Amino acid sequence: MRVEGTKELDAPRAVVWTVLNDPAQMAALMPGVESFQVSDERHWQAKVKIPLGLGGLKMTIDFEKLEETPPEFASLQAKGTGVGALLNMTTEFRLSEAGEKTSMAWAADVRIAGPVGSMGQRVLQPIVNQQVGNVLGALDAQVQKAKAAGS
Amino acid sequence: MTTTTAPTTATEQATTLQKGYVGQSVPRKEDRRLVQGQGTFFDDVRRHGMGYVHFVRSPYAHARIVSIDVSEALALEGVYGTITGDEVAIHTDPFFEMSVEPGSRIKDYALAVGKVRHMGEPVAAVCAATRELARDAADLVQVEYEPLDVVVDGEEALKDEVVLHDDAGSNVVWQGVFDWGDVDQALAEADHVVKIKKLHFHRFSSTPLECAGALVEYDKGTGEWTIHCNHQMPGVGAIWMAPALRTGIDRLRFVTQDIGGAFGNKICLHPQFVVLCLLARKLGRPVQWTEWRTDQHTANAHGNERTFLDVEVAVRSDGTMTGFKVKALDDCGAFPRYEPLGCIIWAQVTPGCYAWRNIRVDFTQVCTNKSPVSPNRGYSRMQHLWLTERIVDIVAAELGLDPVEVRKKNYVKAEQMPYETPNGCVYDSGDYARCLDLALELIGHDTIEERRAEAKGRGKLLGLGIGSTLDSGTNNFGQSQLLNPELQFSGNNEAATVKLDIFGEVVVTLGTVPQGQGHETTAAQVVADIIGCTPDQVNVRRGHDTWFNSSAGFSGTYASQFAFTGLGAVKGAAELLRDEMIKLASIVFGVPEDAVELADAQARLKENHEAAIPFMGLGAIVNANNAFLPPDFNPTLNHRYVCRPIFGVVDKEAKKGKLTLTYATQIHACVVEIDEETGEVEIVDYAAVDDCGIRINPQIVEGQVHGATAHAIGAVLHETFAYDEDGTLLTSNFYDYHVPHALDMPTLKTGAIESPSPVAPLGAKGMGEGGGGGIHCVCSAIQDALRPAGGAIVYDSHNPNHRVWEMLRDPEATRANVEVVSK
Repeated sequence: MRVEGTKELDAPRAVVWTVLNDPAQMAALMPGVESFQVSDERHWQAKVKIPLGLGGLKMTIDFEKLEETPPEFASLQAKGTGVGALLNMTTEFRLSEAGEKTSMAWAADVRIAGPVGSMGQRVLQPIVNQQVGNVLGALDAQVQKAKAAGS
Repeated sequence: MTTTTAPTTATEQATTLQKGYVGQSVPRKEDRRLVQGQGTFFDDVRRHGMGYVHFVRSPYAHARIVSIDVSEALALEGVYGTITGDEVAIHTDPFFEMSVEPGSRIKDYALAVGKVRHMGEPVAAVCAATRELARDAADLVQVEYEPLDVVVDGEEALKDEVVLHDDAGSNVVWQGVFDWGDVDQALAEADHVVKIKKLHFHRFSSTPLECAGALVEYDKGTGEWTIHCNHQMPGVGAIWMAPALRTGIDRLRFVTQDIGGAFGNKICLHPQFVVLCLLARKLGRPVQWTEWRTDQHTANAHGNERTFLDVEVAVRSDGTMTGFKVKALDDCGAFPRYEPLGCIIWAQVTPGCYAWRNIRVDFTQVCTNKSPVSPNRGYSRMQHLWLTERIVDIVAAELGLDPVEVRKKNYVKAEQMPYETPNGCVYDSGDYARCLDLALELIGHDTIEERRAEAKGRGKLLGLGIGSTLDSGTNNFGQSQLLNPELQFSGNNEAATVKLDIFGEVVVTLGTVPQGQGHETTAAQVVADIIGCTPDQVNVRRGHDTWFNSSAGFSGTYASQFAFTGLGAVKGAAELLRDEMIKLASIVFGVPEDAVELADAQARLKENHEAAIPFMGLGAIVNANNAFLPPDFNPTLNHRYVCRPIFGVVDKEAKKGKLTLTYATQIHACVVEIDEETGEVEIVDYAAVDDCGIRINPQIVEGQVHGATAHAIGAVLHETFAYDEDGTLLTSNFYDYHVPHALDMPTLKTGAIESPSPVAPLGAKGMGEGGGGGIHCVCSAIQDALRPAGGAIVYDSHNPNHRVWEMLRDPEATRANVEVVSK
């Protein structure tokens, strides 16, 4: 499943870039993070509980930064394993200046295999849409926080 | 429900059967215990200390197994043990393959070894104190996979860009050309050649109420396994399992009691059962596995998916069809478990109900990253019969002919029976045109145009459809030699025993493994008629135990053959018993044997019914009071008979022979209404007319007709195993895989004629599979309904509302599939 969009953030590009490339701040953006561990600057791991029906779906997700061109572009791969599900996601974002603001074009290719992928097809799209909305809202807040801290 | 029973004999063919209890709707002996919840299924069997098994299954459709770590699962309290593919590879051999190369090089183990090839493929198994604990522990098994490219489409699989089985080096399992008559000449001489680029028969399956499973015990002292299960063909299961387990067939004792449906799905359970056997031996305790429904959908057994390419049909100007050719591409999923038999089984009904004399089928079977297939109600013939019915409707539509008249013109005629098909099969009896007339009468064919106009006023498109189909029964395993001449399988056989016990009880054991077909009832009817008692006085033992029931190499319940082989064996054994009872009574009475008759559960003198010995007396004499019998007479009152149908040998060169012996007819007709805005299909009238020769028990026949029709309606409108491009099954539960509910079913009108089989022992033909008549029928009706809306061609066997809506919106896209070349 591919999802993509653009988001305008009320902060300079450098601020947005910093937020998006700081693992700790990234962790704060992700829904249901229970723990977060940085292995090195290109690899980190999160244990998350994705809200999916009764009880949620627990997953261990390994992130790897694939490519980056500061302060414009980065791509990331995430591989998650959990009971009855395997997650494979590649995501990228491109930042461009829009006056005082920053425009972020983003895309993600999400694949879920296993029984959850099999049974969840009908509900997956709305859940992904909902989570994307949550992430973008949290990003907005995080960027504002960083902007305020810097000003 | 309306039942129309036409005159009982539709042809002049004679039958020797005298109807007594046979022919009556005797209440099913099985139903009392089943409706009272007193049936005993394998899951009801419990053993002290038994462990429960859960399979760890692949989430990937195609991946290399890098590692399997079971340590966390083993550390869980209550976990008895695990098994992985590596252990299976050490302790077992791959199952034997029936194909020639390249399919014969495929290595199929009980668990994935090194690689997974379909989503849901078992890679390990965990055994624990409870079913739930086993499932939780299975979640702790860490399997590292290296995903591989996936191929889920048969035509793509042919390219071998992604190869499933490295040992085979190709996805092709089997390939061959069947060429009967002279199709090139027929096409050259035809007035019209109708060309169809592509037709697709989709992937679906039956969903038995009871999922698969077994309780397996291992006797360390003797090295024997007892498998309490719901395998529907244990003899063949043992032929697969014993060599893999490096043991003898008699060391595998299969025990079945009641079985909650099978439909062919429970023929290919040998991989799971081998794992259970290994676990039982390894852990020294009984192990039990009950399949979860999602696993049943995902990875048990699907029906064969088949694509028909480059169809060309030769048609004369008067509508007579003289032949056709086609390339058939069969997708058997990840492993050819029962395959490549599907590459030949269809040939039992090569021309369908029609008198085509020139047919060429270029048949290829491939593997894809989907669940393996196994026989499924109407196995392999259903796909082919759907093709023949699609051909007839498309020819009629493209040439502006009446589909009813085209059928009648091209049907094999009653007066041609017995009819030899171009490939040497012999249709034993039948009157297809008569059945069609009955079906059309039941749905009010003469008022169709008025109803069409009335429906149009309501925004509905009304269509009439016909499905002409055959249920070929009594399998000749010699057909396997047309695929692989080296195979040593031919003919068929089935066994039964009938005995009279010391207290005069009549006891029957069957070689068959019934799954709800009412074998206890129909066997009792046959025995009762032969030995002169009532069906209630005949105890047909439930289920099957391979150690104690008499069985033959091909024993089982499959291929619509119980009416021939199963009841043929019962009849033979009962006749042996009858003859011995009469002889015994004649000795006791001191009269000639022809002075004695059996009736009212007694042996009595024909001329003096007061002079009678009850069955109990006969049983007591032989078993407990036999000293006075003459020395040269040693009765047992216990007889086994093996029914061996006579097929003759197949012609491996010409690929001809009697592949089956009986051909039951099912002609379905229906009326559908399609909403012009939404494409929603509603079946508003439905009739099924059956001709299975002598109906041993009409009510049971009726039940089979209902069941097969429901299956077919489910398949054509609701049920499909849909995969995404990654090989993830998208319809793995009853929410997404919609089996028709009672409210989805139209009111069925049924009719019957009886064209007795001249070759079957009782004149009765197997009929339970139904040949997919409802699929053909509804496809036909949808196409008829869409005619005024652009004339879309129904090109797929699965037609849910969205597909019908697409055909409404873009009929030309489907019409591009068809071309007529007229001379």
